[in-house]
Amino acid sequence: MTDTTPTPAPLPAPAPARAQSPLLRIARNFAEDRLAVLGLLLFLAVVVLAFAAPWIAPQNPYDLAQLDIMDGGLPPGEASFSGMTYWLGTDQQGRDMLSAILYGLRISLVVALVSLACAITIGVVAGMAAAWFGGRVDSLIMRVVDLQLSFPSILVALILLALFGRGVDKVIIALVIVQWAYYARTVRSSAIVERRKDYIEAARCLALSHRRIMFRHLLPNCVPPLIVVATVQIAQAIALEATLSFLGVGVPITEPSLGLLIANGYDYLLSGRYWVSVFPGIALLITIVAINLVGDRLRDIFNPRLQK
Amino acid sequence: MQMNLRRLAGAVLISSTALASAAAAQELRVGLASEPTSMDPQFHNLATNTQVRLNIFESLIEQDPLQNLEPSLATEWEALDDTTWRFRLREGVAFHDGTPFTARDVIYSVCRIPLVENSPSSFSIYTQSISGMEAEDDHTVIITTNGPNPLLPVESSTWAIMSADASGAEAEVTFADGTCEGLGEVPQQQAFNSPELVIGTGPYKLQESTRGAQIVLTRNDDYWGEAPDWETIRLRPITSAGPRVAALLSGDVDIIESPPIQDLPRLEREGFSVVDTLSNRVIYIALHQEGPHSGITGTDGENPLLDARVREAISLSINRDAIVERIMSGYATSAGELLPPPMFGTSGRPADPYDPDRAKELLAEAGYADGFGLVLGTPNDRYINDEQVAQAVAQMLNRVGIRVTVDAATASQFFSRRNNQEYPAFLAGWGASSGEMSSPLKSLVASFDPDAGMGVTNAGRYSNAEMDELLQKAMVTIDDEERSQLLQQAETIVLDEHGIVPLHYERSAWAMSPKISYEPRVDQYTLAYAVRNAEAD
Repeated sequence: MTDTTPTPAPLPAPAPARAQSPLLRIARNFAEDRLAVLGLLLFLAVVVLAFAAPWIAPQNPYDLAQLDIMDGGLPPGEASFSGMTYWLGTDQQGRDMLSAILYGLRISLVVALVSLACAITIGVVAGMAAAWFGGRVDSLIMRVVDLQLSFPSILVALILLALFGRGVDKVIIALVIVQWAYYARTVRSSAIVERRKDYIEAARCLALSHRRIMFRHLLPNCVPPLIVVATVQIAQAIALEATLSFLGVGVPITEPSLGLLIANGYDYLLSGRYWVSVFPGIALLITIVAINLVGDRLRDIFNPRLQK
Repeated sequence: MQMNLRRLAGAVLISSTALASAAAAQELRVGLASEPTSMDPQFHNLATNTQVRLNIFESLIEQDPLQNLEPSLATEWEALDDTTWRFRLREGVAFHDGTPFTARDVIYSVCRIPLVENSPSSFSIYTQSISGMEAEDDHTVIITTNGPNPLLPVESSTWAIMSADASGAEAEVTFADGTCEGLGEVPQQQAFNSPELVIGTGPYKLQESTRGAQIVLTRNDDYWGEAPDWETIRLRPITSAGPRVAALLSGDVDIIESPPIQDLPRLEREGFSVVDTLSNRVIYIALHQEGPHSGITGTDGENPLLDARVREAISLSINRDAIVERIMSGYATSAGELLPPPMFGTSGRPADPYDPDRAKELLAEAGYADGFGLVLGTPNDRYINDEQVAQAVAQMLNRVGIRVTVDAATASQFFSRRNNQEYPAFLAGWGASSGEMSSPLKSLVASFDPDAGMGVTNAGRYSNAEMDELLQKAMVTIDDEERSQLLQQAETIVLDEHGIVPLHYERSAWAMSPKISYEPRVDQYTLAYAVRNAEAD
């Protein structure tokens, strides 16, 4: 009861003063690498394009009534009967590839971001609990994590989707299940280091609740490695979703994501309709490379050994 | 002089390469799309198995590429009366182990069919009408049926004739009043993993069968019929379409079955020959016609598919020619019936026209001017471009206001879900192995009665008593002309009320090196022994 009143006051006060400088330092540090900046810009561009898809795409590729199979398999730059130009060509259903890629990016990003958020939440809670309570709780949680990590994630996801069936929500659930363990392990290892430090001892001496120390004091100091893992994992999640859709267990066929678009075109590669596969492939490549560039730079910044 | 020498050297060179290729040409390598589930010729009624077994085991009667009946181990057959048939057997035929082929082997083979355990799809549906068999002499068999069965000769083309001796039968094998005696211990499917038991009368002997890798056949030099062109045949299962095409392109195999249709233009450009023919397989859409269904939305629980006008609207809103041209690249033919004309029992009915305006009118008349929501189930790896066709149908139905969502699943999942009636509408295909109309009518649209073997694939539960009656009558009519008329009438009833919506007949294709030739078959079988060496001719 007594400790609820003083805390809101001191926390906001030091936060701006202290947070300002490291953030600025990170930003400056980040900007030193031109490639990373380019990656960030590319990623932001992809995000904006993807989320603005309903307004900028020439066609809604998920509305079957807007498609016409008579327009199927047109090469890039060809015009349809209705006068619309397909800049990146169409697939065999008559879907405008440009629109399909924009919508597909949106699905890929939403799936990756939502599953990232859920996986981080679960992973952080589990990792913190393991580090803080130690002993049996730690062993139990970490054995589950080990078990999880010992299987290839694609295998686990395939099995899960074979059980659940197709659907965006199911893909997200599968991705959360295969990813939370990475975060749990990362958070645990940094939390174990931090919990022996003096400020935690001080917090304990104040008889603060476990939850409070864990999430208010311990967690903020475990964030840097988490950010690095998250950027790597989001690229992983996008690639994994694409793989699952490519294998035909991911999103429904009438609402293709990038992976499914590539799979649709894969059958036509030998017969010369390269555009159905290649353009979604390039979009996927750009997205993942951009995220990885950003992630690499962040890792360098947060790695004390590489610090100048 | 020098000129002559050079020429001579050139000629030697040419003739030596010709010799080398002639030696290599003695072997045929076939890329199959799927692998037989067993080498037991009577284990599994599956096209994949049958097309391999026909190299090794023959039947009394064989089907030619157009599914006409031709003499094989039987030279003649006739119906003595409504329930008695006489088959005269070919003389001088020997099994691979040298023992002569006699009536005893025929009786043994038919007797064994129902005794094969754990068969995923038994051949016993083709022997269940037989109540007894009798060897009049070594080369004459009298078969009695428990009712008139005009299809007995067709059905006999599915019985693989095995050697009674090699299978361990007793000296006397009898089949009277529905019971067989003298069979000894019947070998089961597992026993056929070793080539010793795989003893038939066919043009090839089994040399080796390695699961997942290859099946090697060697020529039976004592074969009674025309000697095939190849000394050895190597059958390689390459289940993915891409690698199968790649294997042909790189010369690893000489002929492949079901090449992806989108790759055919390229294969032809690179000098491979492609042959194709109309198959006996119709791709259709079945509609749920038994009470409400949870997959239909926006109708307050009503099932609009019970209304014949709605079903007609669905048929009229599908642009079959566009599907054939765009999705099937021309390797299909728009279907108006359940079996392509001029096969037995077809009436030559044209495909429904594409008329979306009339479809909208019909929907409005039926009280569904605003359409309704419908789930369309489809397999995604069973028929040629099945998932793409379903999407195209969904697209077309959406245009007349029926909001279709496609639910695609892999074949094994799809078929079990379909049989549980989980789809209010589904896309599937039916290949008539007997090559006549009774096959699709019996399975797809006859009233559901699995115990009687009727409507076993009728998951939409279409039912019409008049049609059932005509079909039953046709099935016991021996006279071909009359039977054909009855089947046409029965089919017309179904199609007039759009109880099922035919989309197209698949065309099946084969791609091969220009050095060989193959006559395309309606039943889609790839019969390795029938592949010809074009160079030898």
